[in-house]
Amino acid sequence: MRPIIQVRGLSKRYRIGKTLVAIPTLREALANALKKPLERLRGIEPEPDEMIWALRDVSFEVQPGEVIGVIGRNGAGKSTLLKILSRVIRPTVGEVDIYGRIGSLLEIGTGFHPDLSGRENIYLNGAIIGMRRVEIKKKFDEIVAFAEVERFLETPIKYYSSGMYLRLAFAVAAHLESEIIFLDEVLAVGDEAFRQKCLWKMKEVSRAGRTVFFVSHDLLTVQKLCGRVFLIESGQLLKDGPAEAVVTNYLKSFSHP
Amino acid sequence: MIKEQANMVSSSGLTGTALERAALSTALPEEPLIKIRTGRDDGCRPNFKDLWAHRELLYFFIWRDLKVRYKQTVLGAAWVILQPLLTTIVFTVFMSRLARVPSDGVPYPLFSYSGLLPWLLFSNAVQSSSQSLIANSYIITKVYFPRLIIPLAVVGVRLVDFFVSALMLFMMMLYYGVHPGRHLLLFPLLVVQAMLLTLGVGIWSSVMTARYRDIGSLLTVLLQLWMFASPVIYPSRLVPERWRLLYWCNPLAGLVEGIRSSLFGLEFNWTGIAISAVITLALLAYSVRAFCRMEEKVIDIL
Repeated sequence: MRPIIQVRGLSKRYRIGKTLVAIPTLREALANALKKPLERLRGIEPEPDEMIWALRDVSFEVQPGEVIGVIGRNGAGKSTLLKILSRVIRPTVGEVDIYGRIGSLLEIGTGFHPDLSGRENIYLNGAIIGMRRVEIKKKFDEIVAFAEVERFLETPIKYYSSGMYLRLAFAVAAHLESEIIFLDEVLAVGDEAFRQKCLWKMKEVSRAGRTVFFVSHDLLTVQKLCGRVFLIESGQLLKDGPAEAVVTNYLKSFSHP
Repeated sequence: MIKEQANMVSSSGLTGTALERAALSTALPEEPLIKIRTGRDDGCRPNFKDLWAHRELLYFFIWRDLKVRYKQTVLGAAWVILQPLLTTIVFTVFMSRLARVPSDGVPYPLFSYSGLLPWLLFSNAVQSSSQSLIANSYIITKVYFPRLIIPLAVVGVRLVDFFVSALMLFMMMLYYGVHPGRHLLLFPLLVVQAMLLTLGVGIWSSVMTARYRDIGSLLTVLLQLWMFASPVIYPSRLVPERWRLLYWCNPLAGLVEGIRSSLFGLEFNWTGIAISAVITLALLAYSVRAFCRMEEKVIDIL
C-alpha cells in the first residue's frame, strides 16, 4: 500500500546565539556588519552562534487512515514536527511528500477577530484554516448547531463567554474536510461535557478513514484514539509502534529516575 | 500480552478497516500534492500557483480589515474621504494662499487632492504593510498560507480606500467645472502602476520590518521626506532643470504627475512615466524575491 505521508531525514535547527536572543535591531545588525570584518582582521575568532536541533533526522511513513498520536515531554520537538508537516515553518534538512489535502489545527479559532460577529468569524476562520467559501456556506448551519450559538450569531465574539468561544472555534475546525488532519492539544480545553463532545467528533473523524496526527500530553486520550504512537525525545523519533506498547514504555521511563 | 492488546487496538475500528484503507490508497494521486523542501532546495522561488489557489483568503483578509475598521470607528468609511480632504484644506491655505505655489492652471484644491490620492495610497499602504506580518503573527505561526497574501491584502484595502476617495475627487471636479478629456483613458493604467509600485515597496517593508523592527520607525521619517520629493503639493516645474532627471528617478514623481495629467487633460510627461514604470517593475521583482528569501527566517523569529 502506498503511504499518504513520506518523511525523509527531517531536521530543524534553531539559532539561539546571542544575536537572536532578542529580535536584532537595525543598529545591532549594522554594528555587527562593521564589527565582524574588523575582528577578523585583528585575528579574533567570531563567536559561533549557539544552535539547537529541535528535530533531528526524523523519518517515517504514514498509511492512509492511520490515526497517529505523538507524545513526549515539553520541548521534545512534537510541535516543531507538526509545524513543519503543516508547512508553518520550513525544515533545515530533509523532505516531506504529502499525497492529500491537509488541514492543520495547531490551535482552534485561529484568526478569530473579537470585533467581528459569530457569523463573520465562522467565515474568516474557515477560510484561514483552508475551507473554501462554498464549503463554509454549505456547512454553516451544521457548524452553528454544533457550537450551540444560534442566538448569538450577530453578536461580536468579544461578548461571548469563553465556553461559547471554544465551542464555536471547535465547531468550525471539526467541519474541515481534508484527507489528513493535524491536531495539537486542541482537546485540552473546555469542560467535561465539551471534551466528551470533541472526543466523540474526533472518533467520528478517524472512523471516516482520514489520516490523523494528534499531539497530546493526555495519554489516556491518545490510547483511546490512536492506533500508532510516536514517542519523541530531544528531537528524535525514539519509538514508533502500537499505542499501548509505546505509552507503557514512556510511562516506565518515569518510574525509576 | 501488552503487545497483543496493542495490535488489537490498532487493527480495530478506530483506524478504519483494511478494506476502507485500501479504497483510500487507490484514490491517492500519483504525484504528491504537497512537497515540503528546505529553502535551499527550492531556490526560494515565489509559488504563484499556490498564491492563486489562496485567492479567496486574500479576499477574506481584505474583507476583515474593512469590516473591522468600519466597526471600530464612529465615522467608519468617512475617514477615507476626510483624510485627503482635510489635508487638502491645510495645503490649500498654506501652499496656495500663503506661499502662492502655482498649480498648472488647475484650481489648487483639485491639484493637491489629485496628488494626495496616489500619495496616500502609497504611504498608508507602505506604513500598514510594514507592520502587517507582525500584526498577523498570531495567524502566521499557526496556519500555512502563502505569506505574500498579508502585504497583498494591505494594499488591497488601501486600493478600496483609493477608489472611495477618487469618487470625492470626481465630485470636486464637477463643482469646479473641470472636465476630464480623453486623457482619462490612461487613468486606470496609471492606477495599476501605482498599485504595483505600492506593492513593490510594501512587500519589501513588511518582511524587513519583521526582521529589523526599527525599519518601521525609519520608514515614517522617510515617507515624510518622500512626499516633499514628489510633486504632490507642488508642480514638478518648480524643480530646477538640471535636477529634473534625478527628480524623475523617484518613481512616485512621474506617477503622481501622470495621474494628475490624465485627470485634468494636462500634457503627459512621458520621460517621468516611463522611468517610473521601469523602476516599479524592477522594485516589484526584487522585493518579491527578497520576501521569499527572508520569509523562512522571519517566521522563525515571529
